Amino acid sequence: MSDTPQMALRRKLSAMRFACWELHLFLDTHPNNCDAARRLEEYRQRLARATKEYEEQFGPLCELSTETSRWAWINGPWPWETEVDS
Amino acid sequence: MFVYEKRLQYPVHIKNPNPKLAKIIMTQYGGPHGEIGASLRYLSQRYAMPYPELAAILTDIGTEELAHLEMVGTIVYQLTRNLTPEQIEAQGFADYFVDHTTGVYPQAASGTPFSAATFAVTGDPIADLNEDLAAEQKARLGYDNILRFADDPDVAEPIKFLRAREVVHYQRFGEGLRILTDKLDSKNFYAFNPSFDK
Repeated sequence: MSDTPQMALRRKLSAMRFACWELHLFLDTHPNNCDAARRLEEYRQRLARATKEYEEQFGPLCELSTETSRWAWINGPWPWETEVDS
Repeated sequence: MFVYEKRLQYPVHIKNPNPKLAKIIMTQYGGPHGEIGASLRYLSQRYAMPYPELAAILTDIGTEELAHLEMVGTIVYQLTRNLTPEQIEAQGFADYFVDHTTGVYPQAASGTPFSAATFAVTGDPIADLNEDLAAEQKARLGYDNILRFADDPDVAEPIKFLRAREVVHYQRFGEGLRILTDKLDSKNFYAFNPSFDK
């Protein structure tokens, strides 16, 4: 199955999100590491751009997202479904 | 509190059903080394952590385990879609199916339902962090054993991601243990329990 536009954008967003998370965990046990903190800030900005792009097209990812379409929140595909199901 | 993100930590898109494999993978959902046990273990051990780095790492890893629980649940769900009664019978899924149909229930591959007896919360940070290191290795070997049976790349790729996360968590817990022992009496780490003997 080749990626649908939604899957492709979510993959990009998830990669940025993963980089942020990995640095966040690392900083739990290395709170003084300035290099990791700087890289986290860089990925945070890239994530914010990817999130905005995704949510504008496919609806909110979180309860407090800037994008607030109620139907887009309740409608699938939910994460366990594939685009084919919905 | 917790906030839900409507996406998986790593994508899961499985085309072909395989209930036999689903029953094996389910053990990482609710089995003795599974993700729900991991999450409950870390989130419950947090309260007795005496230093901020340790409270942070248990909170964050305990949270990530919930994202892994969702990934494993998704793998099981997608492996058991569109089954015929013949497939259910032929692939040894009938004993699960009779109670749960194709719902996702937290149980071990052997059929034992999830139990908090699979983990400990001792209130002693040295004991808890050593348990956490072992727990990450047990989860890692569980995924290694699953990879012996998962020849479908749609299944193997997310399983490899989960396996790699266990290795990273092991590393972070190791650092947590070092942070703890560096603050204790180097001649006798066990002189007192820093969570209880103030």
